[in-house]
Amino acid sequence: MAGTESFPALPLFDLRLQPQDLQAVAETLRSGWLTLGPRTAAFEEAFAEQLGVRHAIAVSSCTAALHLAYLAAGVGPGDEVIVPSFTFAATAAAVIYCGGTPVFAEITSRANPNIDPDDVERLITDRTKAVCAVHFAGYAAAVDRLKELCDAHGIALIEDVAHAPSAQLHGRKLGAWGTAGAFSFFSNKVLSVGEGGLLSTNDDDVAAFVRSRRSHAMTSGTWERHNGSTDTYDVVGLGFNYRLDEPRSALLLSRLGRIEQEIERRRELTVRYRELLGGVDGIIVPFTDEQVPDSSCYVLPIMLERDGLQAEVSAGLRERGIQTSIFYPSIHRFSAYRERFPGVSLPLTELASRTELTLPFYPHMSFDDQDRVATALAEVIPV
Amino acid sequence: MSEWRVPLTDIAVPEEDVRAVLDCLESGWLTMGPRTHAFEQRLSEQVGSPHAITVSSGTAALHLACLAAGIGPGDEVIVPAVTFVASASAPRYVGATPVLCDVRSPLDFNIDPDDAARRITPRTRAIVAVHFCGYPADVHALRELCDAHDLVLIEDCAQAIGALIDGDGRQAGTIGELGAFSFFSKKQLCVGEGGMVTTADAARAERVRLLRSHALSSSTWDRHRGHDPAYDVVDVGFNYRLDEPRAALGLSRIERLDASIERRRATVRSYREKLAGIDGLELPFDEQQVTRSSHFAFPVLLADRAERDRFRAELKAAGIQTTWYPALHSFTEYEQFAPPGGLPQAQATADRHCALPLSSSMDEEAVDMVVSAVADVLS
Repeated sequence: MAGTESFPALPLFDLRLQPQDLQAVAETLRSGWLTLGPRTAAFEEAFAEQLGVRHAIAVSSCTAALHLAYLAAGVGPGDEVIVPSFTFAATAAAVIYCGGTPVFAEITSRANPNIDPDDVERLITDRTKAVCAVHFAGYAAAVDRLKELCDAHGIALIEDVAHAPSAQLHGRKLGAWGTAGAFSFFSNKVLSVGEGGLLSTNDDDVAAFVRSRRSHAMTSGTWERHNGSTDTYDVVGLGFNYRLDEPRSALLLSRLGRIEQEIERRRELTVRYRELLGGVDGIIVPFTDEQVPDSSCYVLPIMLERDGLQAEVSAGLRERGIQTSIFYPSIHRFSAYRERFPGVSLPLTELASRTELTLPFYPHMSFDDQDRVATALAEVIPV
Repeated sequence: MSEWRVPLTDIAVPEEDVRAVLDCLESGWLTMGPRTHAFEQRLSEQVGSPHAITVSSGTAALHLACLAAGIGPGDEVIVPAVTFVASASAPRYVGATPVLCDVRSPLDFNIDPDDAARRITPRTRAIVAVHFCGYPADVHALRELCDAHDLVLIEDCAQAIGALIDGDGRQAGTIGELGAFSFFSKKQLCVGEGGMVTTADAARAERVRLLRSHALSSSTWDRHRGHDPAYDVVDVGFNYRLDEPRAALGLSRIERLDASIERRRATVRSYREKLAGIDGLELPFDEQQVTRSSHFAFPVLLADRAERDRFRAELKAAGIQTTWYPALHSFTEYEQFAPPGGLPQAQATADRHCALPLSSSMDEEAVDMVVSAVADVLS
């Protein structure tokens, strides 16, 4: 029911795990081996195979994956990384962790709120070390063009694939286009585990670097020492603790087998949502029907055509028991970023942030609930 | 060899722990929710610290502790060389320089406050007191030193949850401005990967909470409960959150923590009794320190490095897993931080010690097996 401290009747996302998922975690816990071991290795192998890349390295979060991806791309103090502002703060924050400067690029349009390759091209300087493409809501950014552009300039393309496991462009999976892809397994994601992430790459050197830095640049791990294959270790760089543990790997491995099926259901529901919302006046539904079969359909974003209605519509929906979110406020407008990088102006991104609402969406959402959202939306949008 | 007769550690996960995690997974809420909140409250009571903030690892705890201590580029942080590498990495994450200092001796291998005092410069900002293997460092001496020089004292309690500082029951992590704990799988309280920051200072606690989750002005949980969907990002933060299944596991296991530490202590006492008098073996610390330690590991001392290496190799051949902890300045990455003149006591500690198997589920039969193998090796 409505109210500031109540749970929404229709939440933004709703996770349901299967008995076999629970079983996998229970078996792992009972085994008593909880950190970086056989289950993480098995999950990494399965994920790499499904994605069609040489290496998949499980880490503690997508933020960690982005940090390691930028480091692997050689980003350091004084370097620039071109990132969208219409994304979660981690995309840019991880650049700052490396001592670099995030340079914010525009989106293409509110109907295609992915990073604009033309704007990226304009922003490339001698100090640009990498470009990060976020596949917003599970829909492919123009990584075909961006890949060409990055190759031409000798800079790295990093993919922020937090929203887009098993999505593709021209038959190639997202996360397999760039130097590295950063995936998220955060609790509201398509493949969720709680906290978790993964870095994908086809580059053996990047993979070796990331595996090393994930665990304090130690030359061996607890598992190898337990196996007796090595006695001690050296530390050969400044590393981190970005490890994923075994119970989470077990849960991910169990869920990975059903992910294609779940995404297929997400696509069917997205097609139906798009039809319903097509009949609601005053909104733009980003992306096209043609893109849906290639998308992971992570969330259902809409843009209110008219500026200045976001809070009102969000509140109206909340009163009707429908939770919404804003994906995303512009990073460059956050106080932390205004202080550090003043004077950034991205009119399209800012308009998108002021007019976007993300609607409830999950694989087991009923048609009735979709109808309810569309009806409520039509009621609360002022004519 | 993967089938040790006596492994270094062994983690028992009883069915009540499994049930707690499964209940959490069935709930469908996996991040920053009621279980994390309850675990933090319980930890706060357990450790006796007004604020306990769970994070993704002990390393994350140290990183956030450094930030909450106000450490930044150009600062120096004094760190003992006998510790896990994260103690020195964390100051580097924030742009500071770790200044390695010595320990008292192989028989008392915690940070030497006198050596720490000698390494204070105008740029020193903090001292990291590591309670190594669970044995409490001399934080009273370090507290005085820090107060006299206006430094922040950070306690690295990664191996020392439940260690007692005094006879009066005060615990590690409550003397310094900030404490950093680990819930890594080998630790006394383990969840897989996890950690915690403790502090008595509300402002520092607030800063740790903020930076733990990307400095967002509201959380997913707040928004789920119907709060305004808008948020601001007020600093450059991180994703150092612990998730709900791990909080559920920690919450279940913490009920057995005191008993588990008591069992470790009893095992160590039994070891010490049975090992006493074996030629060529020395036992660090004394009975008072054994009473106060929370016993992450049980290190013994051999005559020198060659003898220690032989000792370990022969125990390995006998199916007994041991380990040792290299001193930081011997790592390729940390040679650059080795002070002129070296760190003789840290080096001697690294060269001479060997940690024997220890866990809360270890029985007397396993202790006897280790003791008899040790006696054989040294006979």
